[in-house]
Amino acid sequence: MEHIITTEHLTKEYKNFIAVNDVSIHVRQGSIYGFLGPNGAGKSTTMKMLLGLTAPTKGNFTIDGKHFPQDRLAILKETGSFIESPSFYANLTGRENLDIIRRILDLPKSAVEEALELVGLSEFGDRLAKKYSLGMKQRLGLAGALLGRPPILILDEPTNGLDPSGIHEIRNLVKSLPGLYDCTVFISSHMLSEIELMADDIGILNHGSLLFEGSLHDLRQNALKNGFATNKLEDVFLSMIDKDNADRKQRAIL
Amino acid sequence: MNSLMIELRKEKRTGVIPVLFSVGILGAAYAFVNYMVRKETLLSLPLDPMDILLTQLYGMIMVLNLFGVVVAACMIYNMEFKGNAVKKMYMLPVSVPTMYFSKFVILTVMLLFAVTLENAALARIGVVEFPHGAFDMRAVVAFSLYSFITTMPTLSFMLLVASRFENMWIPLGVGVAGFLSGMALAAADAALLMVHPFVIMLKPAIAMSAQPDVLVAVVSVVETALFLGVGLWMAKRLQYE
Ligand SMILES: Nc1ncnc2c1ncn2[C@@H]1O[C@H](COP(=O)(O)OP(=O)(O)OP(=O)(O)O)[C@@H](O)[C@H]1O
Ligand SMILES: [Mg+2]
Repeated sequence: MEHIITTEHLTKEYKNFIAVNDVSIHVRQGSIYGFLGPNGAGKSTTMKMLLGLTAPTKGNFTIDGKHFPQDRLAILKETGSFIESPSFYANLTGRENLDIIRRILDLPKSAVEEALELVGLSEFGDRLAKKYSLGMKQRLGLAGALLGRPPILILDEPTNGLDPSGIHEIRNLVKSLPGLYDCTVFISSHMLSEIELMADDIGILNHGSLLFEGSLHDLRQNALKNGFATNKLEDVFLSMIDKDNADRKQRAIL
Repeated sequence: MNSLMIELRKEKRTGVIPVLFSVGILGAAYAFVNYMVRKETLLSLPLDPMDILLTQLYGMIMVLNLFGVVVAACMIYNMEFKGNAVKKMYMLPVSVPTMYFSKFVILTVMLLFAVTLENAALARIGVVEFPHGAFDMRAVVAFSLYSFITTMPTLSFMLLVASRFENMWIPLGVGVAGFLSGMALAAADAALLMVHPFVIMLKPAIAMSAQPDVLVAVVSVVETALFLGVGLWMAKRLQYE
């Protein structure tokens, strides 16, 4: 099986604190990989390292066989990304914002309309981005990531701030992407219940460490083996985190 | 070239271009008005008419240019920080130093435009008002270049500062502090003070002669290149936080 993103012992330490601890993940080409973890688990930090927004303290990674930092431009050219809060030029409209990205990526003009259409922003394309609602900014960020159909998508909580129907819509969109064109999606979330509906594979992160990596099926098997409730996968996730937290406390006391 | 076009598009609806454009217009208008009002006093000064024309009016024009450069430099980076747009730029296949350099070019060209406009006004005054033969076009050209070159260290310095602080009040404060300390130090003779970019900028304004000072011009070019170099180097490193 071909892995398009792999990390090896990826670690990020801040002054006296380890945000990402020895994480080795493997994202299969053409799959949707759900990256799960509670607040502060290190999901965004991991994704930032993949995009070169912050440097790893230890370990390394490859994206489509390319390495950082020597292949920075090549990696960024084939990766559409959306990390944490959306970023945009406040003085430009949604359409103009996407046009800047389009020019940087050297794409045809039609790419902008296509991206606006995909995220349902066509109607509001000519409004200033700073006047967008939170959900619209989120959609604009997503459109920026999808622009030009990049083969790799790195999406950090893309449904944050969306209304329930928006969450549903974006989830369906993400789910449809590998069918729409040949791409791999690396997506983070807090909720297994959300990820479970779209992901093929799952990685669970807690306090910077990877607790589990495998397919949804593996996760169910794993749950059974460890005596977790299996009827609702969300509970599996939560009890996994709880158990890890309890272990940590135990270790801290000792 | 492409990155320059992209950079220009980003400028839309920000004040970067209008500010320096207005500074050019205002500076030119000031020259006309001031000369008309103070004509008698100015011409009775015991100086060469060309020196009077170029140096006596330059004080206020210089302050305008300085204001324009400080504000435009602050704005050209503030728009990157405002909606956190710069984060998206780091995630796109763009060279961050190239982006920095494009901003430098835009500010430089706009400043050149403003300086040209102001000096064209001065030249027009000279042509129309001066007794026959007293006007010297070469002196105007030399002084325009000189005032442009001596403004460049401030521009280069302000862009560097603006690129480093997300809060626009910090570079704006640095600009004001630079101006005030520059005013206090400009009259001093110590050549060492010329490391202060605002002191250099003030040099032509406090000189009595319109004759460019070669040392000041050389130091200006060196400082401009130095601040630009540091800015580009920092832009390159910034990807790694
Ligand atoms: N620049 C930084 N300096 C110090 N600590 C940081 C920095 N950036 C992140 N952290 C810490 O690293 C940890 C992981 O943060 P990260 O943003 O990766 O979490 P996350 O999994 O994305 O959480 P969330 O679900 O809330 O988005 C947090 O404890 C955070 O405080
Ligand atoms: Mg996060």
